[in-house]
Amino acid sequence: MNWEHILPKQWMGEAQRDGIAADVTMDNDAFAAFYERSARPLWAYLARVSGDAALADDLMQESFVRFLCAAQTPSLAEGEVASRRYLFRIATNLMRDHWRRPNAASIEEVPEEFFTARDDSAQSDSQAWLGPAMARMTLRERQLLWLAHAEGYSHREIAEVTGLGSASIRLLLFRARRKIAALLREQPAVMRGQA
Amino acid sequence: MTHPFCSQEKEIRRLIDAGAWPQGSMPELQAHAKSCRSCAELIRVRQAFRDARSEAVRQARLQSPGLLWWRAQLRRRNEAVARIGRPLLGAQVFALVATLAIVAGLSIFQAKEGFQWLAGLAESSSLHWLHWKSLESLSSVVPVIPGTSISLLVPAVLMLGLLSGVIVYLVLDDLDNLDDADRQRHDSR
Repeated sequence: MNWEHILPKQWMGEAQRDGIAADVTMDNDAFAAFYERSARPLWAYLARVSGDAALADDLMQESFVRFLCAAQTPSLAEGEVASRRYLFRIATNLMRDHWRRPNAASIEEVPEEFFTARDDSAQSDSQAWLGPAMARMTLRERQLLWLAHAEGYSHREIAEVTGLGSASIRLLLFRARRKIAALLREQPAVMRGQA
Repeated sequence: MTHPFCSQEKEIRRLIDAGAWPQGSMPELQAHAKSCRSCAELIRVRQAFRDARSEAVRQARLQSPGLLWWRAQLRRRNEAVARIGRPLLGAQVFALVATLAIVAGLSIFQAKEGFQWLAGLAESSSLHWLHWKSLESLSSVVPVIPGTSISLLVPAVLMLGLLSGVIVYLVLDDLDNLDDADRQRHDSR
């Protein structure tokens, strides 16, 4: 049964105005194609920045569902880049909200092992090298660094994703890069060799 | 605070992203990267993140897009039904409360006239008061406002209750729309 046929036109008009009919902008097939191209980079972002693969699974699902439900979901006409940026923006906010919750552990309280050896099967050389350094960064620094250096976003794009000012991004990113570069320099030579 | 970004960073960034660093770069650029602190930092950090991304993308555990699509559809429908149901329920409750209040107020207001009418009824020995004409006389003996009768008052009260319910529905609907807009703004903030 289709609710659109039952609900009065006035209500459905308002519903469409509020984004309930977002499938007008992205249908099932278009979404499947978009998901195929965007899900892996999004999972990588969530998993490496949060340091928790299970949390990344949950947040990725929620990000896509909210993306589909959102009123301002960019249409395909606006381009996939805009859609992906919007998706990362939702994921960034979800991740921040998760860490802000009282029952969630503070990012500073998470032990370093959480980032480096939580999942042995998924342990990789790059993670073994980058993980300890990432563990000593704040959540925001991790987000900024990943968006800039893993995703290759510009300062303006990072500003859109994080909601920070474009001018602030430059300074924050400069500090974060300097900090993590120093931490990576301190890594044992063996780890550097692995990576 | 100054940010000593080097002018060569853009080219180095492009080469790293293309997977062409250092083999695809000019020897002068490689020599510069060894002597420039900013470029050395960029190379170290960017290569580490690019490697980490490649690894993580391979490890990603994906769900079926159809399942996510279905969940989104379900959530949208639930939200639509809840959005419509909330003000409707509120309007119904308000209309009920308003009607009860009006009936109670009217009863109290008309109590005096009612008692007089009952006394008159007790004095009457026949049952001819059930006749329609007696009802007309009843409406004329219990005026609420001078010049009006109960036959006008009852529809007016009912209309007032109905309109009150509609107004409350519209107000609650607007409030719900504002709440939803706030929530979506928060999601995309």
